[in-house]
Amino acid sequence: MIESVHEVLTRSALVSVAATLVAAVIGIGLGTALALARIPGKQLMTAVVNTGMAVPTVVIGLAVALLLWRSGPLGHLDLMYTVHGMVLAQVLIATPLITGITLAAMRLLPSALPDQLRALGANRAQLVLRMWIEARIPLLAAAMAGFGKAISEVGAVTIVGGNIHGHTQVMTTAIVERVGRGDFNSALLYGAVLLALAFAVNGLLASVRHRGASWERN
Amino acid sequence: MGAELSLRQVRQVRAGREVLRIDALDIGPGEHMSVLGPNGAGKTTLLRLLVGVDRPTSGTVTLDGVSTARRGVEVRRRVAYATQQPGLLSTSVRRNVELPLRWRKVPRRERARLVAEALDRLRVAHLADRPAQTLSGGEQQRVNLARALAIDPEVLLLDEPAAGLDAQTRSAFFADLEQALADRATTVVQVSHRAEEALRFADRVVVLVEGSVHQVGAPEALHHRPADASVAALVGYDNLVSATVRTDGEVLVGGAPTGLLHRGPAGAATVAVFAGGVLLADAHGPGLPVRVARVIPGPGHHVLALEGAVSLLAHLPMRVQAPLTGDVVRVVFDPVLSVVLPDSPADPTPGVLDGVELAYPSRVPS
Repeated sequence: MIESVHEVLTRSALVSVAATLVAAVIGIGLGTALALARIPGKQLMTAVVNTGMAVPTVVIGLAVALLLWRSGPLGHLDLMYTVHGMVLAQVLIATPLITGITLAAMRLLPSALPDQLRALGANRAQLVLRMWIEARIPLLAAAMAGFGKAISEVGAVTIVGGNIHGHTQVMTTAIVERVGRGDFNSALLYGAVLLALAFAVNGLLASVRHRGASWERN
Repeated sequence: MGAELSLRQVRQVRAGREVLRIDALDIGPGEHMSVLGPNGAGKTTLLRLLVGVDRPTSGTVTLDGVSTARRGVEVRRRVAYATQQPGLLSTSVRRNVELPLRWRKVPRRERARLVAEALDRLRVAHLADRPAQTLSGGEQQRVNLARALAIDPEVLLLDEPAAGLDAQTRSAFFADLEQALADRATTVVQVSHRAEEALRFADRVVVLVEGSVHQVGAPEALHHRPADASVAALVGYDNLVSATVRTDGEVLVGGAPTGLLHRGPAGAATVAVFAGGVLLADAHGPGLPVRVARVIPGPGHHVLALEGAVSLLAHLPMRVQAPLTGDVVRVVFDPVLSVVLPDSPADPTPGVLDGVELAYPSRVPS
């Protein structure tokens, strides 16, 4: 039983961390572009991002399943019922949230900051990097929120992963399965471990955030 | 060595409104140019074009013949722009000053030397390790300037560099700024809405009003020969009154003589007079009759609010007995501290005193 929890926990963490990393790259990039770049359709894209934050995860799971299904447009990738497919689903779940928080964080910075950095001689890459440094605390919060949403999600990973023992079962799907079987003790154990994982990750990020704030003062 | 800046047929349109139009303006290498204008005159817009942050809607802005809009980063790295809000980054003072040097790939050891030198020059070396956001307004302005000077720019653009500082701090700030620039050939463009700051160390001053250039000239020329009433008001003339110039040259305000003679064309005009140029005349002689509405003690002089055909502000030396509130007195205008601005475009000319007997004639130079 303990080995099984360990295995499921490791899979859960890996899937969600991988999804968060990918979603952070996309979300922070997209949020920054929406905040800084003069691109056509910016308002529409912002509306899509905001809508994306509220879309039920099970709907995202369904959409990903339709894409990855053998007859779907990405069926040839054979990602259905794999952890990679689950990562893809979680990326789609976490990205709008990270994008939205990034956009808000960038808009909270002084509006004159980009021009000020340009005037100080920053090229485009230096400007964006400095903006991220200035917004590092809310950006970290965005990543934390993305991870939290990914690891706690159950609907999409059930549809895309199929909750296959030893293969695609993660903590949340394991809990649902055990509750369905009436095995509340196991479900509670999984729940406690998942909670501990969430605490640990948040504690780690909070520590990084604190160090970031200290560095800000130096 | 400072760089040369040129603007040709520049038009800047924002939200359908033309906010800046300059047909031609050249700022020579090493020249100190001040841009004086009220809020919304287009001063910051001009600086943003000079640094290449914005592109003009039409026309060209060049730095040593190179378009600032086309060669973005390359041009911006020759220019330092100290914005009105210091906008210091959320890191230490030292890192704030160092960052533009790092972006210019200045070697680490050289960076440390330049940062220390710039902070020392602006008297903020003791703040080097403090978080920039914890500094006072005056300290932030100094760090902002140190950051601009550390890169040893060819062009230094200063946007109201002492905005938000109290009078004493402002004075000390400008003294240090002058000292910091003393041994450099940097081209400096400073914008301000305060005449005393704009004229302080400028070789030439550009007066911008509602986006267009009203006058370009040496500070003395602006004082003695303002091009129009808006320039006169900006350079500090306290009184701007409507007047009539008779064919014999006598200048009348409300039909009463002012003691000024004008050598220009007859007709409607505006007389600009510094408060110190409103002189009490003999009560029974020629002059503009006014009632003393208020007497306020000022630094070294009485401030008189006068009401009559026009409202006037006068400064009376402390050694002269001030009239009482409610007294009716006659005033004339000191030609040295007055200028007649014809309403039809023509060169403004200083007034000429018309042999008026003054209550304290020693104030009028012979």
